[in-house]
Amino acid sequence: MSVVDHTAIELPAVRISEADVGDYIALLKPRVMSLVIFTALVGLVIAPGHFHPVLAFTSLLCIAVGAGASGALNMALEGDIDAVMSRTANRPIPRGRITKAEAMAFGMTLAFFSVMTLGILVNWYAGSLLAFTIFFYVVVYTLLLKRRTAQNIVIGGAAGSLPPVVAWVAATGSISVEPLLLFLIIFFWTPPHFWALALFRSDDYARAGVPMLPVVAGPDATRMQILLYTIVLVAIAAAPWPLGYFDFVYGITSLVLGAGMLVLAINVYVSRERSRSLRATRKLFAFSILYLFALFATLLIETVMRTVMPLVG
Amino acid sequence: MDEKREPEQGREPEQGIVLTEAQLRSRRRRSIAIALALGVLVVLFFAVTLVKGPAVLNRPL
Repeated sequence: MSVVDHTAIELPAVRISEADVGDYIALLKPRVMSLVIFTALVGLVIAPGHFHPVLAFTSLLCIAVGAGASGALNMALEGDIDAVMSRTANRPIPRGRITKAEAMAFGMTLAFFSVMTLGILVNWYAGSLLAFTIFFYVVVYTLLLKRRTAQNIVIGGAAGSLPPVVAWVAATGSISVEPLLLFLIIFFWTPPHFWALALFRSDDYARAGVPMLPVVAGPDATRMQILLYTIVLVAIAAAPWPLGYFDFVYGITSLVLGAGMLVLAINVYVSRERSRSLRATRKLFAFSILYLFALFATLLIETVMRTVMPLVG
Repeated sequence: MDEKREPEQGREPEQGIVLTEAQLRSRRRRSIAIALALGVLVVLFFAVTLVKGPAVLNRPL
């Protein structure tokens, strides 16, 4: 007779990850990250005063990693939505390459290191703002807004608009009107961009139960909202010129690009027949990416020219 | 991929979980990526220390 009773316990099967580095890179949302890096670079370059290149590189790296962390945490929390949407079904979590817990741990680690590194090596104002940006994207946008309101991407867009502000704060240790203008440009660019996407992916969003504007208010109301936001966007994008922050090169470029956005937004508004509407919204979506990139590239070039020209004579 | 590693000759078969080749390969690649990331972090802290000099301890806020 044994003193100890042995009871067999059925342990759950142990899952050993086969996830590759590429799967983890996909969690960082590299395409979103590239736009974040570019807008943050512009924020750094237009900031006044000398900022050592090593510190500038550190700031950009931390902002990029912070953006990647937000993407990973977002995917960890939205695995169920991603699985039923054709656009996102191929992401690492729906494919079963990475578990939600692994993505969460990965995102939290990156968020911690990006914020701490920016705070310790550059300044704590920038570190705190980066922490707020990650918090806003993950908690306010992903957890609180995305599944509850059609205004999800309007309010949540603030997170995507903050990187140039973080970069400016990293370079200067303070805040000013210029980075706030950059913030507003991205903020008002976000709704037309994402609603154009939501118009031609509305079935996807409806299936996933995400209350995007075309799903809850219909395509016509969305077209009107796209047009209204585009008008405000064009006005705000041109504002740095009359306000005296940038010269006519930027002013003219922003107006030309803005005219392109406006024409495409009007085209979306008037194209109600299905196939025409699909073409119009896809065009607006594609052009909106080019628009933001070109606008910020102009800011970058003009600032570099302004710095280089006096040196050349 | 369910291929299991064969135990080396003259050694007892391993107890517990035996990783497949695919699992071992992906774990190795992940380990290398983590090592590289930590290396970048060390270089970054070293470079900023050189750039800032004694001011590295003088941080606002």
